[in-house]
Amino acid sequence: MQTIEIELPDQLYKGVNNLVKSGWFRDQNEVLCEAVRKFIESHRPELIEKFILEDVEWGLHGGE
Amino acid sequence: MAGNRLKRKVVCDAGPIIHLDELQVLHLLSDFGHVLVPAQVWLEVKKHRANALNHTGIKFEKVIVENISSGVLSGLSKAFGLDAGEIEALSVAQRNRDCNLFTDDAAARLVASQMGFEVHGTIGLIVRAIRRKQLSAEEVVDILASVPQKSTLYIKPALLNRIVEDVKNEYRV
Repeated sequence: MQTIEIELPDQLYKGVNNLVKSGWFRDQNEVLCEAVRKFIESHRPELIEKFILEDVEWGLHGGE
Repeated sequence: MAGNRLKRKVVCDAGPIIHLDELQVLHLLSDFGHVLVPAQVWLEVKKHRANALNHTGIKFEKVIVENISSGVLSGLSKAFGLDAGEIEALSVAQRNRDCNLFTDDAAARLVASQMGFEVHGTIGLIVRAIRRKQLSAEEVVDILASVPQKSTLYIKPALLNRIVEDVKNEYRV
């Protein structure tokens, strides 16, 4: 696993810990992984658009 | 008239191979020295485009991937919901750090960027063909316009129109 350091607002941090304490997740890591996965799933169109525009820029002006 | 073939190897996920073949421009991959295709991706492409991997002008190389049950990719694949082909493509890219990775999947691209790989997709390859002298600007505009009818690559119509206009403006078509 790779480690990413993030800063969470206090409210979010409490929310993460509550989920762990109530038994929904084993640890903070699991909460954050699930949150990221769901974010990706729900925001893919925006990501796809961003990546496509980056592709076009590479296609037009890239080095290789 | 094409530019000189690059010696660089690339790793390809199923999407770009399938979509380029649908659009009848799979030959654009002939610009690269070798196109590494993980075994799971090979199977997926065979299922959708049976003859694509037989293209005589492209050096497709099937790569058997082992030992990816642990490590960075295992964790990231769970977090980002990657499928078997995407995981194998990233694994091959990880073992060939000087390679470009081609995929159209947003989650796979995100993971690839996080891991420091240079990653591009079908649209980039098509647009790139102009500066690599594989296609004319007019041909690329026509191919891009045909994506909704000829390809299973989904692009929002407004975005596709914008891309076509960008290419037209860049090359004064």
